Amino acid sequence: MIEIEEGGIASTVQDLGRTGHYHIGMPPSGAMDRYAHTVANYLVGNDADAATVEMTYQGITATFRDDAVIAVTGADMSPSLNGEPIDTWATVAVDAGDELELAFATEGARAYLAVAGGIDVAEVMDSRSTYTLVGIGGHEGRGLEEGDRLSIGDAPAERRELVGTRIDNEDVPDYADEDTVRIVLGLMSHRLTDEAKETLCDSEWTVSPEADRVGYRLEGPDLEFEEREQPFGAGTDPSNVVDLGYPLGSIQVPQKPIVLMQDAVTGGGYATVGTVISADRGLLAQRQTHKTVTFESVDVDEAIDARRDQNARLEEIRADIEGEE
Amino acid sequence: MDNERITPVDLPEPRYEYGADDHVFVELAEEMSFTANFKAMAITQQVAERDIDGVVENCPANASYMLRIDPEIIHPDDLIAELKEIESEIDLENYDWETRIIDVPVLFEDPWTHETLMEFRERHQDPDGTDLEYSAELNGFDGVESFIDAFVGAPHLVTMVGFVPGLPWCFQMVPRNQQLEVPKYVEPRTDTPSRAVGFGGAFSVIYPVQGAGGYQLYGRTPIEVLDTEQTLPDFRDSMVFPNPGDILNYRRIDREEYDAIREEVEAGTYEYNYENVSFSPEEFFESPAEYNEQLMEVLE
Amino acid sequence: MTEKTTIKSPMPGIFYRQPDPDDPPFVEPGDTVEAGDTIGLVEVMKNFHDIEADSSGTVSEFLVENEAEVEADQAIVELE
Repeated sequence: MIEIEEGGIASTVQDLGRTGHYHIGMPPSGAMDRYAHTVANYLVGNDADAATVEMTYQGITATFRDDAVIAVTGADMSPSLNGEPIDTWATVAVDAGDELELAFATEGARAYLAVAGGIDVAEVMDSRSTYTLVGIGGHEGRGLEEGDRLSIGDAPAERRELVGTRIDNEDVPDYADEDTVRIVLGLMSHRLTDEAKETLCDSEWTVSPEADRVGYRLEGPDLEFEEREQPFGAGTDPSNVVDLGYPLGSIQVPQKPIVLMQDAVTGGGYATVGTVISADRGLLAQRQTHKTVTFESVDVDEAIDARRDQNARLEEIRADIEGEE
Repeated sequence: MDNERITPVDLPEPRYEYGADDHVFVELAEEMSFTANFKAMAITQQVAERDIDGVVENCPANASYMLRIDPEIIHPDDLIAELKEIESEIDLENYDWETRIIDVPVLFEDPWTHETLMEFRERHQDPDGTDLEYSAELNGFDGVESFIDAFVGAPHLVTMVGFVPGLPWCFQMVPRNQQLEVPKYVEPRTDTPSRAVGFGGAFSVIYPVQGAGGYQLYGRTPIEVLDTEQTLPDFRDSMVFPNPGDILNYRRIDREEYDAIREEVEAGTYEYNYENVSFSPEEFFESPAEYNEQLMEVLE
Repeated sequence: MTEKTTIKSPMPGIFYRQPDPDDPPFVEPGDTVEAGDTIGLVEVMKNFHDIEADSSGTVSEFLVENEAEVEADQAIVELE
C-alpha cells in the first residue's frame, strides 16, 4: 500500500487507456507519454498495460507501507527516498516505511511511477485509467490527494532481482531537446489557405498555460481559412464544420491550434487540419507550458515506420531487462 | 403539418483521409443530410459486422465516420480499400434498422440555463435578448412559443454521440425547408449547466455534465444521459443512454413535472419512457410527418 | 545583517499577485509573512495553485510582475 502525503498538482493513475468506447464520447485516457510509462513498467517486470502514477509538473510525496520494487521515468522530478536521491529510468528497492519524494519537473512535464504488481485500482470499462471530467477510473476518478491510499497488485518476490537495472542512456529521452513534432496533414486541411498550411508547419508555436490532458492549446500566428458559403448544419464561422469525430492527436483550429490529447473531446464542429503521429504524442506531452513546438509534415508511411521503430525499441528494452532477471 | 416528402440527397464521392498512422477519417458530405447520416451508420454497422482485424474504434458521425486502427495489424490503405468496397455495396433504399423512440421531458426557459445565458450575454450575437428570442427571430417565428412548438413538433434523430461521454447530437426529422438553424455563440461559454438542452448549427444536444459549451440554450431536462455510477435502471449495461440512431421526442413540461421527475432520478428509480421500433428511411422520406406520428404513437 | 531568501514557483504558468482581479494583492513589499502564507497564485492547466512562503520574513521585492509568465524554479519574491 502506498499512502499519499502530497498529491502534487495533477497526479493520476493511468494505464494504456480504454478502447472501444470512443463512439459514445469516451476518450481513451491513459498515459500521456506511452514510452515513459511503458519503460517504467518494464523496469519493474510489469506488462506495458499495468497502471502507473502519472505526475504533472510536480511529483507526489508518499510513504510505502509494504516493501516494493519501483521505477521512476519521464520528466526529471529529482526523486528521493528518505531524503537520498535515487536513480531515474532504473529499478529501485523500497522498504516498508520508506518515504518517496518527488519535486518539481526540471526537464519535461510528466513523470511516471511504476510499482511491481501495478497500481491496483478497480477497472472501469477494462481500464484503470483516470478520466477526471466525468470522474471515472483511477483512484475515485480524480487526481491524488493527501491521505489517499493506493493498493499495489501482487508481484512475485523475484522482481527484487531487477533492482539496480537501468536502461541505456541512449534510450533515455532528452526533454530539453526541442525536437520537431511530426504530423500528417489532412482531415479538413483543405479548409485552410495554402499560406496557413505553410504557417502551421513553419512557425514556432508556444505551449499555452491551459495545455493539459484534454488538449495542448498553442499560441502563435493566426491561421486563415478559405472563404466559402458554409454548408448546411455547420454553423456560421469559417472554422465550423458539420460536427465530426476528432482523431486522437488531431489539431483542431477554433482560432489557435489545439492538439487533442488522451482525455480529449471525441468530436465537435471545428475543422481539424492534421494529426500528430502516434509515436510523437508522448514527446508533445512532455513539452512544458511556455516551451516551443514546431511541426514537421510527414506522410502516413513515415508515421507508421516511426510507430514501428518506437515499438521495436520498447521491445528491445523489455528483452534487455528480462535478461537481467 | 403539411406532408412534404424528403428527397434523398446525391452525395459526392467520399473523401478518405488519414488521421496520422492510427486513424482513418471519411467525409461523406460537407453538408448535413439524412442521406449522409444514414450512410455513415450503414457503413459503420457493416464495419462492425465484418469485425475487421486491427480496427479498435468505430465512430459514426453526422455526415462522416472515423475509425481508429492499429496500423501494425492493418495498413490504412488496405482498410480504405475495404471501406470503398463496403461503400459500393451499401444500398440505402432497402436499409432499415432497429432503434428506440425515447421520451425526453424538457423544461424550456428554466431558471438554470437562463441564469447561465444571461451571465454570458457579451459572448452572444444578441446581447439584449435570450437565446430562444434570438433563435425564434432568426428562423422567422413570431415568438418564443411558436419556435418551441416547432422544436418539439417533430422528433430528433441521434446522428452522433460524443464530445463528452453521452452527449447526443440530434437532427430534427423534418424536410430541409422546415429545419431550424442557428449559429453557435460568438465565443464559447466557459460554463453550461448539466442536462441543458441546446441547439447549434442544425443540431440539438443534451449536455451530460457541467462544462464549456457554445450552443444556444433553450431548457433543461430532468433526466440523465450519463450515469457513471450506473445506479439508474436504464444504465445497467452502459453508463451512457443515447446511441446513434435513437429517436428523441422532446416534450414540453412544467416546473412541477420537472421536480417530480428529478426526484425520481435522484432516488435512482426513474425509468426512461421508450419503445423499440423498426425504422425505415424509405418510409420516413416518403412521408415524414405521417411516419413521425406513427412512431410517436408507441409512446402513448 | 539580514539574510535574503527567495520563494520560487514550482511550476510553469502565469503568476498572479491577487486572488481575483478585483481583490487586493495577497502581500505587498514591506509586509511580514509566516511560513505557509500564500503570497501569490500560479495558473497552469486551468487551475490556480497557491505559492506559499516556506519561511517567515519580510517581503522585500517582487521579482516578477503580476500576470507574468513564470518557469518552474523561477524566483518570484524576495524575503528578508
